[in-house]
Amino acid sequence: MSGPPPPGRRSYRVRHRTTYDYDHPVTDSYGLAHVRPRDLPWQTCREHELVVSPEPQDASTSLDFHGNTRAYFHLTEPHTRLEVTATSVVDVDAPTYAAPALEQPWERCRPATRPDVDDAWSARGMVLASPRVELVDAATAYALVSFTPGRPVGEALTELCSRVHADFAYDKAATTVTSRVPDVLERRAGVCQDFAHLTVACLRGLGLASHYVSGYLATTPPPGRERVVGADATHAWASCWVPGAAWAAVDPTNDAWADERYVTTGWGRDYGDVPPVKGVIFTDGGGSRLDVGVDVAPLDDPEPAPAAPSVGVEGGIDLGLHR
Amino acid sequence: MTAVGDYVAAAAQPGPGDGGAPVVYDEMVGPDGSLRSAWAGLAPRIATLDGADLRRLGAQADQRVQDDGVVYHRSSGDDAPAVAERWRLDPLPVVLDQAEWASLEVGLVQRAELFEAVLADLYGPQRLLSRGVLPPEVVLGHREFARAAVGQPSGTRRLVVAATDLGRTSDGSWHVLADRTQAPSGAGYALENRRIVARVVPELYRDSGLQRLGPWFSAMRAALLAAAPDGPAGARVVVLSPGPESETAFDQAFLASTLGFPLVEGGDLVVREGAVWMRVLGGLEKVDVVVRRVDATWSDPLEMRADSRLGVPGLAEAARRGTVVVVNGLGSGVLENPGLLPYLAAACGDVLGEELRLPAVPTWWCGDPAGLSHVVAHLDDLWVRPISRADGPGVQPGSLDAAGRDDLVARLRAQPHAFVGQEAAALSQAPAVVDGALAAGPFSVRTFVVAQGQGYVPMLGALGRVGEEDPEHPRGSASKDVWVLGDRHQAGAPASPDEGTAYPVAAPAAMVPRLLEDMFWIGRYAERAEDLVRLLLATHALAADARARDDDPAAVAGLRTLLAALTHVSTTYPGLLDPSADVRAGLRALLVDPRQPGTVAHAVGGLERAAQGVRDQLSGDVWLVLGGVDRALAAARADRGASLGVLAQESSQVLCGLLALAGVTGDTMVRDAGWHLLDAGRGVERARQLVALLGSTLVEGRDAASEEVVVGAVLAATESILTYRRRYRGHASVAAVIDLLVLDPENPRSVAFSLARARSSLAAVPGASGGSRPARVLEGAHEELERADAGLLAGADGSDRPDLARFLGVLGSRLDDLADAVAAHHFAAPQVPRPYGQMPALDRDHR
Repeated sequence: MSGPPPPGRRSYRVRHRTTYDYDHPVTDSYGLAHVRPRDLPWQTCREHELVVSPEPQDASTSLDFHGNTRAYFHLTEPHTRLEVTATSVVDVDAPTYAAPALEQPWERCRPATRPDVDDAWSARGMVLASPRVELVDAATAYALVSFTPGRPVGEALTELCSRVHADFAYDKAATTVTSRVPDVLERRAGVCQDFAHLTVACLRGLGLASHYVSGYLATTPPPGRERVVGADATHAWASCWVPGAAWAAVDPTNDAWADERYVTTGWGRDYGDVPPVKGVIFTDGGGSRLDVGVDVAPLDDPEPAPAAPSVGVEGGIDLGLHR
Repeated sequence: MTAVGDYVAAAAQPGPGDGGAPVVYDEMVGPDGSLRSAWAGLAPRIATLDGADLRRLGAQADQRVQDDGVVYHRSSGDDAPAVAERWRLDPLPVVLDQAEWASLEVGLVQRAELFEAVLADLYGPQRLLSRGVLPPEVVLGHREFARAAVGQPSGTRRLVVAATDLGRTSDGSWHVLADRTQAPSGAGYALENRRIVARVVPELYRDSGLQRLGPWFSAMRAALLAAAPDGPAGARVVVLSPGPESETAFDQAFLASTLGFPLVEGGDLVVREGAVWMRVLGGLEKVDVVVRRVDATWSDPLEMRADSRLGVPGLAEAARRGTVVVVNGLGSGVLENPGLLPYLAAACGDVLGEELRLPAVPTWWCGDPAGLSHVVAHLDDLWVRPISRADGPGVQPGSLDAAGRDDLVARLRAQPHAFVGQEAAALSQAPAVVDGALAAGPFSVRTFVVAQGQGYVPMLGALGRVGEEDPEHPRGSASKDVWVLGDRHQAGAPASPDEGTAYPVAAPAAMVPRLLEDMFWIGRYAERAEDLVRLLLATHALAADARARDDDPAAVAGLRTLLAALTHVSTTYPGLLDPSADVRAGLRALLVDPRQPGTVAHAVGGLERAAQGVRDQLSGDVWLVLGGVDRALAAARADRGASLGVLAQESSQVLCGLLALAGVTGDTMVRDAGWHLLDAGRGVERARQLVALLGSTLVEGRDAASEEVVVGAVLAATESILTYRRRYRGHASVAAVIDLLVLDPENPRSVAFSLARARSSLAAVPGASGGSRPARVLEGAHEELERADAGLLAGADGSDRPDLARFLGVLGSRLDDLADAVAAHHFAAPQVPRPYGQMPALDRDHR
């Protein structure tokens, strides 16, 4: 992959629906969602609506520790299906980074050594291990191949991303939501969340500060095919604190710097700080089935084609039973 | 020489080192070998104590601890259930004079004010971090830094109660060993210690002129009410406990009852409309203040650990909205953090503009490169401790082998921010009663402060500890009452020995369903134990009779029937059904084996567990009586070779204790919903036991002589023999027995009476209705009794009584239904929260 992207503005309507089907009625359900795109220098959320069905008895939104929007909802109506639908209209530019910032030696990006930079103190919290990102020697050693002494930080980030992309297989079967960095390193396989966690661990192991970033990626249909609703998904990538360039974001899953295709909903120490939807239910038992559908529609595109039957219902891909 | 004389002589010995080596400060004996001035008032009384006196005082303290049911639950491993250990209390207090305490308490109050200001900053603007007063990693890398606690209404106090552990260096000056800011435990133990010591050495207590603890608990009560979002008037405060098996369950329950606030568990609370409510009979009651004894990470499965069953989903949200105040605030545990110690002096100057008064044990934070090199260079002289308590107490590198030390240093270098090096704490020594002598042991105190107005007020006393804290030998240390002298005695106001009860045990107005369930089970277990002991005693009597009448076949056959009945009633199969079974061993096991379900000891164990769960509902007399039952069982258990005759005596002792329990619950308990459930439990269980007993003794036919023996034993076991003789005056008549023990509504030992008792008790529970399932089941059982005719039921077909068997079978299943119906109707166990389910691994190939 080459360096950071040239600027270009895009607008999207993002529709993100999470559905839980339960075998037994749920009497009480408490949920949290991190699904509103953040307002950022390169991103503006123009509209946002969160619809929970059945209607919550109580709901509120607030900013969390990291400045992400956290939506809380509480349902008391007995239900066998919970549907959380977020619809957002968002304008995204490709973030721009000052060239000299990306050209500084990566060692100069360790916040502990940069008391001269305003937010270095808070970045220091992002150098530490977190519940889902253990710092292991193997990850640090892997990173050091790209982060050679004195190398410009932008170049090193680009190469680390490319290597993760090349060395690790994208394999849904190789991973679970609880996969750990050492598991990913051993299996050499995973999904975007695993690669983001791995990249975060690589950077933190070097004394650099790194965010786990959660959001959406607009996909381009294969040539000659129309865009299919629901083919998009929630996505995750990583960013690195670079003095003079804020948090430089890279996507190891796609060997790319985050550009105008990347809609950021939030960031944190790891996945656990920003799961799109999580919650707690009270029920007499039984299993639950989860469907997630994401559609990132460019606003200047024509209306998307209806879903092909082989893909399933609109926005709903059966992910199997989760018991 | 007297015990004190011996101690003084030993304490006055020069220290083990050379001339200039530091000596240990002794709490009682000054450098010149005389008692310290604070002890002067006690001197005349303690000077004459000899070994026998000390043994007696130790035994009395132990006895009172047992009578009050004071325990500490020690968990041995991750998944092993906690074991209740008896609380250890040394009978002699440690006395501190007013002047030295005064300087200490100024430091303690300052420390709490500093901590409150630090918490307000860390969960607010974080200026202490941005300006470099505190290293960010010490806070942001601490396990108890609760990101969910950011965003609470400003001005909400986060630190209401704080505790500090202190020791003394050789010159007698205090230094901090550790801080407890999350959910400090021990204030309840301190008050209980005071109550016991005041009774064990009343003359010392009376004459010493010490400060009382009571006012501090009043201040705590006031502070908790004042913490309520809408002010103290009508505020509902609850104490949230992890449950009766948690380490300091006694402390939590005793504190709750002293303050008069209900003790609840996570399942008793629910968040609705962004506020916290307590489930009470027939509804919800709003909660204003949650005194949290559950660690923050476990207190809200929505935002913290999703697998927690101890918490309340939505609690963090409610706290952020300010509809409820959590005490201490979520995230206050970040200050239980030795990594902060090197920086507290700077923080104190920064936020309070004062010099930090209390020094801590010298500590180096490894996140500072200079600190790390100091720690690595002085490894043998230091303790290495994690900054988060959840990561363990730390190690003494000096005790490790070379590989262990290399491994430790590697861990320090990998995660330097997570560790400190700390000098071994210098401690003073204090006398403790050991084997009838006074032995010097290392001494430390846990002190407490509670919010008052804008500041804090200290407890004038402390929870002391003397002896080696050795995990291998947890019994090696004991707690101490700590007396702080005041000048109140000079004003002529004697301290009341009842100070702990100046705040009467107030039952909460409303009861949560879980408590009702425990009360129901207290009733059932107590009745089960009592009925089984009675049956054991009747069997023993029969056995003695059979021995006396040697070859009498009726007595032998009767005994055989009773042994079988014991096995059936207790469901301890195969038990004594096998004619070759060892009768003595079997009867002994039925009394003392705590592991086998169905035995007396097992029922008493269940009774005690249920009682622990509702400790704040029960009077102190209940524990006194349970202590007696325990002692009788323990004595029988220790007496392995007891003969049948001795076993019978031991069973009688247990019965005495159980009868006392029935008396205490009948005489001292308020007739609230809890009592009614307890009473209903007794009624239901007595009826079940009777039905089982009659089914295993009267259905099978036998010759007249044997029948007379069996009927006599059944009447003895049901305490109805006198009534029977008075009323029927004849030989054994099964019809008469059925009449008396099943159908007679006037005989308190009959099925009919027991069911009527259950019925009236259940009807008295608030929210009960005649159409409820328990009421309908009771009605059905009642109709069975109405229809029954003792004469017909006693009729034999051949030799057996099939009608009686059928009748008792139906009645038994009705009673099982009743127990289930009561549980379903009144307890409705709250469901367990479960996570939404695993999110899928983010799931689409974007390539």
